[in-house]
Amino acid sequence: MQHPHRGVIAGVAGVLLLSALAAAQSNAPQNTAPKSPWKYYPADRAVGDGGPAPKRDLTGTWAGESYGANTPRNRGPENPAPFTALGKQLFDKNRAEGAGVTVANSNDPHVRYCDPYGFPQNMTNEIRGLTVSTLPNRTFIMLMYMDLWREIWTDGRTLPTVVGGRARDALDPKYNGYSVGRWEDDSTFVAETTGLVPETWAHESGLPHSIMARVTERFHRSSKHDMSVELTMNDPQLYSRPFSLGQVNFRWIPNQLFDDFTCIPSEVQRYLKEMADPAGGGSGAAR
Amino acid sequence: MKTKVLIIVVLFAGLAAINVPVFAHHGAASFELGAPVVLKNAVITEFAWINPHPLIKADFKDEKGNVQHWTMELGSIPSAQLIGWNRGSLAAGDVVTLYVWQAKTKEPVGRFNKVEFSDGTVLRDTQRGADDGGRADTGVRQ
Repeated sequence: MQHPHRGVIAGVAGVLLLSALAAAQSNAPQNTAPKSPWKYYPADRAVGDGGPAPKRDLTGTWAGESYGANTPRNRGPENPAPFTALGKQLFDKNRAEGAGVTVANSNDPHVRYCDPYGFPQNMTNEIRGLTVSTLPNRTFIMLMYMDLWREIWTDGRTLPTVVGGRARDALDPKYNGYSVGRWEDDSTFVAETTGLVPETWAHESGLPHSIMARVTERFHRSSKHDMSVELTMNDPQLYSRPFSLGQVNFRWIPNQLFDDFTCIPSEVQRYLKEMADPAGGGSGAAR
Repeated sequence: MKTKVLIIVVLFAGLAAINVPVFAHHGAASFELGAPVVLKNAVITEFAWINPHPLIKADFKDEKGNVQHWTMELGSIPSAQLIGWNRGSLAAGDVVTLYVWQAKTKEPVGRFNKVEFSDGTVLRDTQRGADDGGRADTGVRQ
């Protein structure tokens, strides 16, 4: 008589075999040469949580997801986003890469032209590494991708209430906006940002934002080796309520180094012409 | 019947647990992801270590003696570096076997899978480098 669960057992065995084969696909080189103090070694990972987080201190260099540091997976934005009618209208104009949209057919200004992601997209997209540095009156977030930095003022000033407009002394919107921060408790640093260049996307999926969108970041260092950042956007013009842009996670990098990664317009034009546009059946997307 | 349902559920759960190939950087919508095209004795004409993706350019002579000029993209530079690539991993004049997922347009362009060198060593793509088209950087990625 056939065992009633023989098929299930065979299925499980098959899946385990496939999983083992997939896990064995790594071809990380086995290099026994002396290590350079100038090179990032993804196999040199922080072990465990390293003990309690130091109080009110995010300083250091951190590896994000996809950077070989065993960093927990990030969480994406709330989907669908709670658009207003105007928000939906703007979102529908943005053709992000994804199901059915190739590089050739996308109108993502970064993919086609290396235009800046701007904040908050630069905290979730290609977020492979960052360094936090602290001065008495500011905290700097220095991002590996595009070699750029943000500054978060911690001297007690308040955010501008008006950005843009025609007044002589009007503040112009900025790619990283205007940011202030404070410690909520010994392990949680909260940053608030507004005054964003409106042409940028809030997220790689094409979520729009207005100049006066207000983004809250909660940097939480849960241990010496673990940090996460939860992002929430409040933009009443385009969204009916505040909503999550997701959470990005980081692990401490033992030798405090990461590599170079920059979008270079001349290289992107070559990539599009010789590779992405022929592959995608297009000659380049309209902007 | 229950057993069949159980098998299907278990298989789907297991397959979901495997590191399903995804493109974190640029999408896969342009490529035929069936069997890769194999270009034996291809001659590298250029290895362009550029962003957003390095390009491998190679000449391949088909069975009729016609030379095809291929271009294929690799994962992003920082991803490739994680599994041992650098600017000098390929050079013009190298004679190699290339595996590539060709574009749906049938142009001689595609997503690189792996390269076999004459001494038998292999370098793979990060995201499509496994023989089943899955990720090849699992060991350093997670």
